[in-house]
Amino acid sequence: MFPFLKSKNQTKDNNKDNSQKVLIYKEVEKNNEYIRQLFFAEKNKDFSFRTLTAKYIQKKVHIFFYSSIVNSEKIYNGIIRPLLEADGQSIKDVITIESLTEIKDFDQVVNQINSGKAVIFIDGDTTAYSIDVAEFQARGVEKPENERVVKGPKEGFTEALGVNVSLLRKRFHNHSLIAETALIGTRSKLEVSLMYVNDLVDQDILKNVRERLENISADNVSSIELLEQYIEERPYSIFPTILYTERPDYAAQFIEDGYIVLLMNNSSAALVLPATFWSFFHSSEDRYARFLFGNFTRIIRMLAFAITLLSSATYIAVTNFHSEMIPPDLLLAITSARERVPIPLFLEVIIMEVAFELIREAGIRIPNPLGPTIGIVGALILGQAAVEAGVISPIIVIVAALSGLTSFAIQNTSLNPSVRLSRFLFIFCASFFGMLSLVAALVIWVLYMSSIKSFGVPFFAPLSPHFKSRGDIYFRNVIKHEFWRPGQIKPKDKRKSN
Amino acid sequence: MKKTRLKSRELFAIVVVVVGFKLADTTPAQYAQEGQNAFWLMPIISFLVIFPSFLLLMYLLKKYKDKNLIQLMMIILGRPLGTITGLVVFFIAYGLLIFDARNYADQTKLLYFPESPTPVILVIFLIVTFFGAKRGFQAIGTSTFVTLPYLKLSVFMLAVLIIQKVVWLRIFPIFGEGLGTILWEGAKRGATFSDLFIITIAYTAFKNGKTFSKGIYFGALFALFEIVFFFLLYTTLYDYNSIDKTAFPFHDITQYVNFGEFFTNVETFFMVFWLGAAFLRFIILVYLASWILGEVLYMDEFEPFILPLTFFIFPFSLLVENTILNELVWRNSLFIIATPIFILLPLILWVTAKAKGDLKKQ
Repeated sequence: MFPFLKSKNQTKDNNKDNSQKVLIYKEVEKNNEYIRQLFFAEKNKDFSFRTLTAKYIQKKVHIFFYSSIVNSEKIYNGIIRPLLEADGQSIKDVITIESLTEIKDFDQVVNQINSGKAVIFIDGDTTAYSIDVAEFQARGVEKPENERVVKGPKEGFTEALGVNVSLLRKRFHNHSLIAETALIGTRSKLEVSLMYVNDLVDQDILKNVRERLENISADNVSSIELLEQYIEERPYSIFPTILYTERPDYAAQFIEDGYIVLLMNNSSAALVLPATFWSFFHSSEDRYARFLFGNFTRIIRMLAFAITLLSSATYIAVTNFHSEMIPPDLLLAITSARERVPIPLFLEVIIMEVAFELIREAGIRIPNPLGPTIGIVGALILGQAAVEAGVISPIIVIVAALSGLTSFAIQNTSLNPSVRLSRFLFIFCASFFGMLSLVAALVIWVLYMSSIKSFGVPFFAPLSPHFKSRGDIYFRNVIKHEFWRPGQIKPKDKRKSN
Repeated sequence: MKKTRLKSRELFAIVVVVVGFKLADTTPAQYAQEGQNAFWLMPIISFLVIFPSFLLLMYLLKKYKDKNLIQLMMIILGRPLGTITGLVVFFIAYGLLIFDARNYADQTKLLYFPESPTPVILVIFLIVTFFGAKRGFQAIGTSTFVTLPYLKLSVFMLAVLIIQKVVWLRIFPIFGEGLGTILWEGAKRGATFSDLFIITIAYTAFKNGKTFSKGIYFGALFALFEIVFFFLLYTTLYDYNSIDKTAFPFHDITQYVNFGEFFTNVETFFMVFWLGAAFLRFIILVYLASWILGEVLYMDEFEPFILPLTFFIFPFSLLVENTILNELVWRNSLFIIATPIFILLPLILWVTAKAKGDLKKQ
């Protein structure tokens, strides 16, 4: 019906096989010249190279690297000093740094230097050697900003890939936890780490993910947030299909069950896929809290979900179209509150809802020192003063505040905007034909959600279509009674041991 | 049609929504015209009359593996006869849909939007139906299953609230007008459960015959129980004097109940769930009707039929002059005509299959 709503497969070919690879020359000077041309060595101030004579073979050696993204201590202690001082048969005996890769052509040389490696050319040798001395600047491990918990670990992902991988490995010690690397981007090649447990993950899904990563033909995909938009199926949909989380512990929970986690440099978050409605709806703390309290939180969240979606819309529908439903006393209260208000009810609700969104948006962008001041002014002006001036009725303030506040109970940063957008949709619908059009919109909304798939997994699975799972849907089970891994992602080992 | 991932539970939900919804539309009013205070017994008769045929149909479907209702007819009766009977089934299904559409639109208008014109309400119904049905059978099944608990919770709540107000002795005289009337009039309306036959078009969409039969049997029994229970509630609440004058018993009882002293007019609350169920029922039936038509016409893709079929409900259902005619003449007649057809159809199929010797092979 709407072609743009359908999923589009990006089928552009990667320009993989277009280049005839330039192999490394035997003469070190030729290599030297070629590299310096490639990297504009004259202009590029942080492109460094060093020439020296290696003691172990008595030949000239050139080392190239970006000084801004390597650890200079490591270069000195691990490469230069051994080359100058040590004896040995081959370069492998000389270099003390743990990783040493042989490379044959200049494409690889460029990739390696760009990703923070030092590349060594030896005179008379057609193989170059790349040594990992990368040190990209990043902040340390801090608390996740947007997904706070009371009970549970406080570490968050950070913008360094290595640290993120380490945070996940720390939580799941298993030899089959794999951190596979894929390179994406044509101009700037960045690493994406696919982490999964090899003997759990479904190979079809894994293949699907790999293909989508390969099919990205963008020049540069610099972070996981952008990557999400490149690999998702329905870019126009209001629902997310890939889980975005800042919490390594939450991501590790998914890895254990056979999901795939994507990590990248430059993003303090991970992508978990395939995602279902439930993975957005749940929070990691639901499992850390004991059984009863965890489920109590779920009830509260469901309530919040319903209130934030429907309270304003229901208010419009009921007061405009079904006022007989309101008890007389309450109806009188509403009417008397609205007595002085000149604008129609629908407009009133829209004004307040938009105002709340404005405060919210401004609150995020506001410079830290000003935050509280502006917050108070906003609340005072929009709440108190607007009511006293007779522009809006006090009841609307209650309704809007309720629906605004409860929206924060949907913690997930991907689902939250969906819910807020849907709320406006429902408000518009409710103003047409009251409950009739509201229910109509709701039915279509649910049907739309049911038709979404994330990497082949239906959005409401395992509730419907049914799959064997640990029963963590509306409510969670006692941890000891969780016997199955989520069947919708077809883990190779379905049975969990407890 | 490809297999979907749906299982018995989704089919159960579909059956309960499609068949069980009869408790909340004008079906009870039609029954009550004849049965008076014993009309709650009539659905049991209707069910008993039509169920053996249904069992026979299920038996045939099981024998001819991986065939749905129309494919089965085509195989057994041959293409020309199969097409004709297929078209008959389609026209009954679509006809019931047309009258139901008018019926629901009129109910909604009369009870909740007295100032809105029926066509406008009908248009809203049809828009939802179209967009919903377009999402495919798996999405329909999933949504029905996901929403069913809320729908049933509201009905259960209504039952709990109303049960304090009923007078159980009103079921007497137990056979109302007389046993003969109950049996005959009940039997005439076997088509109340005709939707069960229509749902068998989706036989191939489920994993296997067992999944399907489990879902449809449990669904049918639950729906029957629900219908009988609610009819009983209507009887005991209204008594014979007023029951045959009540056009929309379900909506009327929602006006009787209240949540405590404070919330006294809660009919809109129940109307929300009623509407949700009505929308879903419509979406399912339109989808199934297009499916039937697609199979009859040997089309690989039947989903393009959804748009025209949904659209034509609009002019056809407005052809009827008014609600009363729609209800008491047209819909009622179609029920009575459809009953023998649905009873005989599986029998004909079975006899032909037997004569051809198809049943021995498997």
